[in-house]
Amino acid sequence: MRTILSMFAKSPFKPLVNHIDIVNECVNLITPLFNSYKSNDYEEVEKIAKNISNFEHDADKIKDDIRQHLPKSIFLPVDKRDFMHLLSAQDDIADAVEDLAVLVRIKKVNVPDKLCQPLMELVDFVVTLANNACSMIRELEDLLEASFGGSEAEKIEKMASDLGKAEYEADKKQFLLAQKLFSINDLSAADLFLLNELIKKLGGVADQSEKIGKTLRVFLSR
Amino acid sequence: MDLNTLLMVLAVSACIYMACNIGANDVANAMGTSVGSSSLTFKQAIYIAAIAEFAGAFFVGGHVSDTIRKGMLDPTIFSETPIILVYGMIAALLSAALWLNIASYLGWPVSTTHSIVGAVVGFGIMAGGMDAINWIKVWSVVMSWVVSPLIGGLVAFLLFRFLTNQVFRRRNPLLYAKRILPYMVFLVCVILANAMFYKGLKNLHLNFSFPEAILYSFIVGAIGFFIAKPLSKKISDVPRKEIHKQLEATENIFKYLQITTAFYIAFAHGSNDVANAVGPLAAVFSILNSGTVEMKVAMPTWILALGGGFIVFGLLIWGRRVMETIGKKITEITPSRGFCATFAAATVVLICSKMGLPVSTTHTLVGSVIGVGLARGLPTLNLGIVKEIVMSWLATVPFTALLAAILFKVMLLTIG
Repeated sequence: MRTILSMFAKSPFKPLVNHIDIVNECVNLITPLFNSYKSNDYEEVEKIAKNISNFEHDADKIKDDIRQHLPKSIFLPVDKRDFMHLLSAQDDIADAVEDLAVLVRIKKVNVPDKLCQPLMELVDFVVTLANNACSMIRELEDLLEASFGGSEAEKIEKMASDLGKAEYEADKKQFLLAQKLFSINDLSAADLFLLNELIKKLGGVADQSEKIGKTLRVFLSR
Repeated sequence: MDLNTLLMVLAVSACIYMACNIGANDVANAMGTSVGSSSLTFKQAIYIAAIAEFAGAFFVGGHVSDTIRKGMLDPTIFSETPIILVYGMIAALLSAALWLNIASYLGWPVSTTHSIVGAVVGFGIMAGGMDAINWIKVWSVVMSWVVSPLIGGLVAFLLFRFLTNQVFRRRNPLLYAKRILPYMVFLVCVILANAMFYKGLKNLHLNFSFPEAILYSFIVGAIGFFIAKPLSKKISDVPRKEIHKQLEATENIFKYLQITTAFYIAFAHGSNDVANAVGPLAAVFSILNSGTVEMKVAMPTWILALGGGFIVFGLLIWGRRVMETIGKKITEITPSRGFCATFAAATVVLICSKMGLPVSTTHTLVGSVIGVGLARGLPTLNLGIVKEIVMSWLATVPFTALLAAILFKVMLLTIG
């Protein structure tokens, strides 16, 4: 029998968390991917890249599912467009990680020793940043419960602003790394190009992660 | 068996059938949010509903009955052949109950109130033409159907906004929830007690004046307050930093409040909806007893008890199954949101029922749930149900009206 409970449609916020969990799996593979890449373990690189691509595909499926199950008659406590933005922002992180996985498989590159340490530093920094972005989505349920206010809102606000600062830091690190890269003279043009692309994409992961904080701030302001 | 006994048996059976349907149909809606947010198990909900429905029906159920019995029809039209009104009321009861049965079978969210009002109007037109209907009263009833969900929505919206500002947006929501708990209990107790004391309890022959009723309900409220106060102090604190645990503990407090509102809405439902079953029976009883259509007859206590009793019977037999399924369903409603929606709906229903306006409990509750949703209280809301409800309106009234008219004609031809 139909009852009043049919009014409570399935919350799209839970699948949103499921989605970010899978995106987070992608992000967590970045460090092992680069470790194998710099130590020329291409078998492992292939394996990890495949995993990343699988996760990215799973995330896509959830994204499509959420989009399909959000009919016009569903009312959300946030603007539906903002909700969609958030979903896209999450998905863009996974896409950016997949791009990294593609770049490392194009050609075997010997990462210059001089570059190894700062590169891994940037990787760690970006991974931490992206992890923080993911954990913001896990706060959504509490944010709803707190009616977008109180300590929870302050927490989100703080996380978003930290994320913004970290993204700025990542930009700086990315720039310094690029300087180091281009100061190496005996690199082939192809290697130089690929490494530069990799650094740019790492910055891309940071950029996409920051968008999550920005969109959540919009939730708070409305 | 003479004709009068036959008609009385028929009327009582129809009333029982209707009361069972009311119990089965509406109780799931009234108690659904409490079970859905797991403030109550389905068994607890059944017990609370049984007690509160009966209490509401028995103590406060008389007002709306008058409207259904004589408010919407012009009794003078039937004064020459009062037996016509007997046939009509039996036909109305049967057609409303039948429609409810069909609708629950098909899973449509129809209103028991709309069913009986449509049926009474339908037979009235058939029996006495357009003049037999007191259109002003019918109009006010129909208006109350539009207004009650709107007011329910508004009250729920404002209540949730109030709680948002006073509790959820504080740095320490638990502390404020603990502080607010006794006052909320006080409010629920006062409104409930006042509904019972003022013009209620007719059956116990306690006719309190309004100031007396207010005084006694404040005493009941104070008792509730002083029971809740030490209890709320006992709830252990959670450090401010642990926001998640704070919010969880806050919702736990609202569980207690939701239990009081579960009682509250079942009571309001009983007081409002029992009339849908007993109003027509009371009319039949008074005509068969006196042989005339009288303007003023007291509602016999046994009829109210019968109606209340079989609402409980219906909810135990059929409503149980629905409640059990709800208990297993995952719903996205938390106790605080459920509390706001239920409290608002119950208050509106109780006030309308006091004013003699038969409103739909389900529709009012739908309005108040939307109110909480608009206040950003719910993760998601399926507004498609609003369309379904409007459709059920459009279907219910003409259907029961037509069915009652036909049944009336059939009875007239076969028995009369």
